[in-house]
Amino acid sequence: MTEFFIGIITILITILIYHFSVKIHKKWDYPFTLPILISTFVIIIGLLFFDIPYDTYLIGGDWISQLLGPAVVALAYPLYNNRHLLKKLMIPVISGTFLGAIVGITTGIALAKWAGFENEIIYTISSKSVTTPVSMAITDSIGGITPLAAVFVMIAGISGAVLSQYIFKYAKINHYLGKGIALGSASHAIGTATALENSEIEGSISSIAMIISAIVVSILTPWLLHLFL
Amino acid sequence: MLKIIKIITHIIILYSIFLVGNWIQQKLDLLIPGSVIGMIILFLLLLSNLIKVSWIEEGTKFMIRHLTLFFIPVTVGVISYFELFRGRGFLLVVIVILSTLLVMVSSGWISQWIVTRKEINHD
Repeated sequence: MTEFFIGIITILITILIYHFSVKIHKKWDYPFTLPILISTFVIIIGLLFFDIPYDTYLIGGDWISQLLGPAVVALAYPLYNNRHLLKKLMIPVISGTFLGAIVGITTGIALAKWAGFENEIIYTISSKSVTTPVSMAITDSIGGITPLAAVFVMIAGISGAVLSQYIFKYAKINHYLGKGIALGSASHAIGTATALENSEIEGSISSIAMIISAIVVSILTPWLLHLFL
Repeated sequence: MLKIIKIITHIIILYSIFLVGNWIQQKLDLLIPGSVIGMIILFLLLLSNLIKVSWIEEGTKFMIRHLTLFFIPVTVGVISYFELFRGRGFLLVVIVILSTLLVMVSSGWISQWIVTRKEINHD
């Protein structure tokens, strides 16, 4: 019975903290005020302050995580809504996300291996370019460290969004299609938000690239890991 | 109230597709996550009109709008890995940023190259 109450309370508190972090992000719209960063930070501070073990938090937390799977399934809907655009841009989208996936996975593996990190970390870093729930699912199925995967995804998203304008200028990527695909493949939802600020079409392309990239990366990651390790 | 029932029913449909995806993953011994298989299944079902958009629309919109909420409990798990980032972990941050920029340049460059080449050919 106490377990049940702890569960309910942690769920309510998590929803409340999430709710306020969304409000804060709406008021001050920066990559470092992202709701996921604020919520995670506040909850961690709370657990440390009241000396609550992570496992206790998970009694309720696990119920929320149950919804990660169906949330990934839900991504089929925006892809379906953009099906005409997807059909029209099939070749550049597939080529861009495919090349991006190979570059992202192999450079992640190679650099982490070169720096001497253990396999668990290498497994975790390889899928950092895709949206958090998918990266977590990939990491989980190949035996990496799921919470770390979320951290890497966050770094990929924020750094890509912040540095994209300089990269595009330097690499002479100025077509809305190139920019949209680049942001979606490298920086998932955070990149897509940046693309949306540039133009609506760039945002739609970025969200298509993000979802296609999630599929491509989940197919390629186990295979490339096997090849290199 | 009706809207809440709708959202819950839609989420149950999404959850069932997720379970089918998981089942396929286990049966075929795949390393692709069951949720991603589920996503592909739902996309195909929508394309072939076997599932109508109205059966899942409210629920999917709700889940995508609050996607962040669902992974908060897992990201809090980073609490157990602070030690890592105190030491060599800093290198991981550099690696992720470097790799991300390479993805951006390569994917953006190839897709732009394909499109602009096509546009020149059309003229």
